[in-house]
Amino acid sequence: MLREPFREFYNIFSRKERLREYRKNGRKIIGTICNNVPEEIIHSLGGVPVRLIGEYENTPLANSKAPSWMCSYARGVLEGGLSGDFDFVDGIVGATTDDTKLHLFSAYRFYVKPSFSYMVQFPYVNDELSFEFFTKELRRFAEKLSSFLSTNFIDERLEKSIDVYNEFRELCEKLEELRRDDAPKITASEWMSLMLASNAMLKEDFNSMVSARLDELKEMDGMKDYRLRIHLSGTDFYHLGLLNLLGECGAVVVSDDLCTSAGYYSGFVEGTDIESLAKRYMGCTACVMTAHPGKLSVEERLNFIWQRIDESGAEAIVILKDRGCEVCGHQCPWIVMESELPVLVLDLDFPLSVEQYRTRIEAFIEAHGGG
Amino acid sequence: MNDIQASEQVWNPLGYKELYRDLFKRHLTRQEHLLSKKRPVGWFFSFHPSELIYVFDVVSAFPEQYSAYCAARGSSVDLIDTSIAKGYSHFLCDYFKTTVGSIVEPEKATKPLMPKPDFIVDSRALCVGHHEMAEVFAKYYGVPRYTVNYPYWTPDSLKNVDELTKEAEWAEELYVEYTTKRLHGLIEFMESVAGEMDEDKFKEVFKKSEKTSRLLVEILNMMMAKPTPGSQREIGDLVFIAFFVLGSDYAYEFCHRAYQLIKDRVKRGEGVSDEKHRLLTFGIMPWHSLSLYEYCEKLGATFPVNLYVNASVHLVDSSKPFESMVRRSMHFTNATYDMLDSVVRAAKKADIDAALLLENTGCRITSMIIRPLADTLREELGVQSLILEAPQCDARAMPLERAKTQIEAFLESLS
Repeated sequence: MLREPFREFYNIFSRKERLREYRKNGRKIIGTICNNVPEEIIHSLGGVPVRLIGEYENTPLANSKAPSWMCSYARGVLEGGLSGDFDFVDGIVGATTDDTKLHLFSAYRFYVKPSFSYMVQFPYVNDELSFEFFTKELRRFAEKLSSFLSTNFIDERLEKSIDVYNEFRELCEKLEELRRDDAPKITASEWMSLMLASNAMLKEDFNSMVSARLDELKEMDGMKDYRLRIHLSGTDFYHLGLLNLLGECGAVVVSDDLCTSAGYYSGFVEGTDIESLAKRYMGCTACVMTAHPGKLSVEERLNFIWQRIDESGAEAIVILKDRGCEVCGHQCPWIVMESELPVLVLDLDFPLSVEQYRTRIEAFIEAHGGG
Repeated sequence: MNDIQASEQVWNPLGYKELYRDLFKRHLTRQEHLLSKKRPVGWFFSFHPSELIYVFDVVSAFPEQYSAYCAARGSSVDLIDTSIAKGYSHFLCDYFKTTVGSIVEPEKATKPLMPKPDFIVDSRALCVGHHEMAEVFAKYYGVPRYTVNYPYWTPDSLKNVDELTKEAEWAEELYVEYTTKRLHGLIEFMESVAGEMDEDKFKEVFKKSEKTSRLLVEILNMMMAKPTPGSQREIGDLVFIAFFVLGSDYAYEFCHRAYQLIKDRVKRGEGVSDEKHRLLTFGIMPWHSLSLYEYCEKLGATFPVNLYVNASVHLVDSSKPFESMVRRSMHFTNATYDMLDSVVRAAKKADIDAALLLENTGCRITSMIIRPLADTLREELGVQSLILEAPQCDARAMPLERAKTQIEAFLESLS
């Protein structure tokens, strides 16, 4: 289903050749298990930050060490670790963003025994006290990692890494214009292949690849025969099969708030130092946890969703509700209750029986789509 | 009738039932009195510094405790279904689903209902789930909420913790300091909803809490005696004291009497039953089927260590109240699995020979640590575990007869 150059991007993700190559050249691969891990710190210290994503239909090894109702993302990561498929990973970094990720971190350490591990302690309140703490926490993380990587934390290097990551975010915004177009030029699965590739290579390499192809992408034929523009809501989702199905049924995805996509790249670092970094990561409104005093993080997330819908002209919302995801589990009803747009909730159970969803998606598009 | 059933024995509990009755009565009287005085109502969660409830004279409600009550009275299943029908996922905490059900369809819930909150306090001393569910409850009621961030402890931030007292050799100062500041912020928040804090009362409540906590630790230490002196049907409810009413007069008086009872029992060398197997247990207790513990004990399988109950206690030092409040979070379920070494030490001390581990469907904290715990017990002590799926409020996933059969087979294999 993927056209070029998206096939090329997807292969980078699935084959992991680049990561092995970096490692061969002496770089350490640091796997992250949450989109809120400040990768710029890892990058500035010479490590290669990689979002760990296990692409498995079944996870028998993970199921023997953790409950099978755990979210598919966590089971996939654990399966990758236990099977040896993540043998290129030197260390892991987690964040205290949900219970599954806390214990995924612990289970990965316990069973896979990476050479390095760190848990970034996230404050749940976005106030001055917590900002000061989080800045110190990021310094602590940098110290521990620099010791593992036998290097020193240098402000200038962080500044360069921040530039690289901001360039990545800027490119994502440019790409986003292409999928928001009246005739979107990028399908949902093609979009996801870009996002997945961005997590499986150094950002500067991704940036170069995308920049070199940006004109080509702009010239691609746009889709005009779709029936419904949708916003995808969810968390750590990356299943191309379901995204293809949405397209086959006549939907075009024009925005999202997924942890593997907009939840990951949205928001620039406004500054060059570790304080700026702390500010950006605490202010990630797609994140469930952290909210301003007197606010609820679910409300901040809803605002993030409404804003993206406004900008993209989405006409409906499809929620990808992983049955084991606690974030979806708590927040999904509020998106449904407070949305002014029609909402389709797809309860996802993995391995995914894509065809089972076809009828529901078709009916939804029939009810709310044009044409 | 098989051999195990044939060998059912006399069951000899400690006699805490009457003490609990008195405790609950006094607790409810306090609540009613404060409600009649229009004192504010707060919703709290386990591992909250319950002393502050008594310092500020607020009415306390605990969704977890209320849900356990609904499970014991048989209404939780309907409430869970109500919550799922509203769109909340099946694989969420039973306490959350039961509480949402009681908010949405109170007519289905066991009475008395929790009073509606004027404010909510959540923390992550155990789980992010508390924070997530507090958001939902605060959104339903439109009330202010305060969050206390505790760290998730790792080997580079916490060293050598005692499994019962939670005293640690070392804790990362950065984390202790931030949590302490959040706790100071909690006091400011409580002052904003319940009036100025009385410093003398603060000291007095923490002194009471210290005395009570010492007794709780002693009781759980004595449970490790041979033979196991008490039943988990009685010991399990100690979590009510350690989590929810620590700092109250009635908690102290309960513990004082409970301590005497178990001390006398140990002195006499009496057990809860004719002990054949000493089992460690862990997992939130299935409140709908507590008779399972009695059943095991009658079969000669006693429980000198209940890690869930042990996690609920900590030693309070009234001269360092804030440090003590932080210490509440230093339990093995709020740490990377390195801290299972403290469990191994406790298991050795209690001389256990098997484990019964309960996987609470929907609770990531207790369920995800179960297999590493079983693996650790087997590798370090050669101890085998039986893992049962046992949601704490939903009896459908744990038919009692099936659980009994599994336990019987497990005990036979031990014999």
